[in-house]
Amino acid sequence: MSLTRRTMLTGAAVAALASQLGARVALAQGSKTIKFAFPQDFTKIYTFVTSEYSQGQRDYISLINGRGGIGGYMIEPDVSDHANDQPRAIEAYERAKAQGAVLIDPLSTPVARALVPRALEDKINLITAFSGRSDAADGTAFPYVLPMSPNYWTQAGLLIDFFKQQDGGSLQGKTICFVHIDTPFGKEPLPILEKLAAKEGFKLQAFPYTPPGNDQSAIWPQVRRARPDWTMFWGAAVGQTVALTEAVRNGLDMNRVSSSVWLSESDMQVVGADQTVGVIKVEPCASGRDPKIIQDILKEVVGAGKGAGPEDKVGTSYYNYGVMLAALMLEGVRRAVEIAPNGPVTGEWLNAGLTSIKEFTAEGMIPPTTITPEDHQGGGRARIARWDGARFVPATDWFSANQDVVWEEVRKYSEEFKKTGK
Amino acid sequence: MFFRKAGISFTRYQDERRIWRLPADRWTVAVILALLIAAPFLIDRLYIISYLLPLIIWSMAAMGLNLLMGGAGQIHLGYGAVIGIGAYASVHAMRAGVPFELAMILGGVAAAAVGVIFGAAALRVKGLYLAMATLAMQYIVDFVIVQFPAISGGSQAALAVPRVSFLGIAVEGDNAPYYVALAICTVLTLFMLNVRRTSFGRALAAVREKDYAASIIGVDPFRYKLLAFWVSSFIGGMTGAVLAVCYYRTISPDQFHLDLSIQLVAMVIVGGLGSVLGVFLGVGLILFAPIVLNQLISWGADQFGLAIPIDLRAHLPLMLYGALIMGFLLIEPLGLAKIYNNIRNYFLVWPFRHARQ
Repeated sequence: MSLTRRTMLTGAAVAALASQLGARVALAQGSKTIKFAFPQDFTKIYTFVTSEYSQGQRDYISLINGRGGIGGYMIEPDVSDHANDQPRAIEAYERAKAQGAVLIDPLSTPVARALVPRALEDKINLITAFSGRSDAADGTAFPYVLPMSPNYWTQAGLLIDFFKQQDGGSLQGKTICFVHIDTPFGKEPLPILEKLAAKEGFKLQAFPYTPPGNDQSAIWPQVRRARPDWTMFWGAAVGQTVALTEAVRNGLDMNRVSSSVWLSESDMQVVGADQTVGVIKVEPCASGRDPKIIQDILKEVVGAGKGAGPEDKVGTSYYNYGVMLAALMLEGVRRAVEIAPNGPVTGEWLNAGLTSIKEFTAEGMIPPTTITPEDHQGGGRARIARWDGARFVPATDWFSANQDVVWEEVRKYSEEFKKTGK
Repeated sequence: MFFRKAGISFTRYQDERRIWRLPADRWTVAVILALLIAAPFLIDRLYIISYLLPLIIWSMAAMGLNLLMGGAGQIHLGYGAVIGIGAYASVHAMRAGVPFELAMILGGVAAAAVGVIFGAAALRVKGLYLAMATLAMQYIVDFVIVQFPAISGGSQAALAVPRVSFLGIAVEGDNAPYYVALAICTVLTLFMLNVRRTSFGRALAAVREKDYAASIIGVDPFRYKLLAFWVSSFIGGMTGAVLAVCYYRTISPDQFHLDLSIQLVAMVIVGGLGSVLGVFLGVGLILFAPIVLNQLISWGADQFGLAIPIDLRAHLPLMLYGALIMGFLLIEPLGLAKIYNNIRNYFLVWPFRHARQ
């Protein structure tokens, strides 16, 4: 048969149809497997984090599967691309649901927000680590939405507390500049910062820049003129490196410049590893290759040629975030197996496990995390780390701060969701 | 053979004035409509919720835009914002207790009122300049929604849509939203098919071809350009309400950004400017080609045991998708509707090619 345009088109159409069949067959098997769906954004906005994060997740899952799974259950991750596009994400979610997935981690704030009503209705665990709604920390309003990580309000609260520690216990009369991307995500910490400003007596100055933030040259001279005692910059992707570059250019003291969890080794290389010594970030888990889990992955997964990506990415900040979240998810599975060893594997079954994680430290890699049906944030612990020119070095131990203010805000919004969301 | 009539010849004016002139076309439409109505009982819910429903809703939006672009020849790069205004206006109205049917019209009116202000720019500027003016609308509306917590719904910027009912049917579960959207889309499609045959539609076509020629033959371009923006924005606003209630259920500003506007323009162009059928084909291609290609690649990789790294696996469909759109536009610049027409014309006289059409 010669390959004409017609046969090629027919072939492509048949293959496209065949690809749809796979979805149905998978349901039949799945006796002792637990399906996790990871539709994430590999191609559009979150590209700066997704591939490393996903690599960490898959490597950790390979590690545990390689050791025989959890209580006889094997974890089956299904990674796909939703390109931060909501119709595609909803399609991926519904497909995952049809295939019997009990957990979904979209790693995208807009997508997580859009999936909340569906996840609550379908009782599928929606993981919104470092993304999604901050008020999802309140498990009573969002039983199936689990951030499992310090939300942005907590991160801002931790930074302010660190500034206070550094300045001898008082921020009275200090000036703190908050440079942020002008989107809902960038503006999120403002209410917390305003409350803390009133409580601690510091002067808060906010400087919004227009998204996506590849030009901030008009903002930073104003920041310099404000003579800040501390500066926080809040953005993601390209906005972060541009902000840091401008901070360096305007001669701000790098020891007094800080950001959220969205700062990685490669960002520092882009700006200049030596120019940025001293920059502060919030660290939700240990970075680098020292933690025992990362060593195990290197030995048992990467060493055996089963790594999910390039070896030099192992141990970067975002890779470790992925490992951290996978570890929390699998700890949830372990607890769920303890509670009900014979399943059946459903979203509710896993939810019971995830919300009974107690003082879990992932062998020293993450702060002791306790997730309860009420507190889905996990205690709001993290540490502050400083860039030393080659890596982020912890400047504090794991700690938690200003949780009263954070929870006041969480409850304010979750109450409203409870009232009108249904 | 399939159409039974080689060439179209009518003996009565009534026959020639029908929307679907050939019995075969009428049968096709009836069968497709019957299949759509029966779809929830025939295919898996996954395909209803994540394929048919968005197809219907995006087609409604693209039809509204097509009235403006294909019908009146006015480009609009801010149609996503128009849909956004409709969605926000109607959701706020529903949260205040207004019934869905009324809120939908309210959303349409709000979108039309704002849309017509920016459309007024079309009276002065044309082509690329109008594109810039409507682009400005997109950014201004985005900015206003994000800057006013009263509109966007507080610092979480997510506004939940309350449970509502449409003509007594509760819009919840899997099938009810589908049928509601299908009913509204059917009405809109009939309107679109008919509008071209009205004096309004013909006036728009006159303005599209040359506005001062239109004014010489007695068509007031001022009036009809504004009317085109008004009607098209009204449809966009209504679509926003349907989108919020039937599909998203929580609305946030990023759903109505420039991406959506560009996507809709692409749907209209790939489908075929001015064609109603083309809208459905264009929406199908633009909305689902990335998803299907993605699954095709990962299915192929699994079947043949190819270890494609996940990054490449995610980017490969995008390359194919780009090639696909370029390919279609190269083969037929007039869009998918024209490709369909060519096939139809071929079969209309098949196997007697020499017969007149």
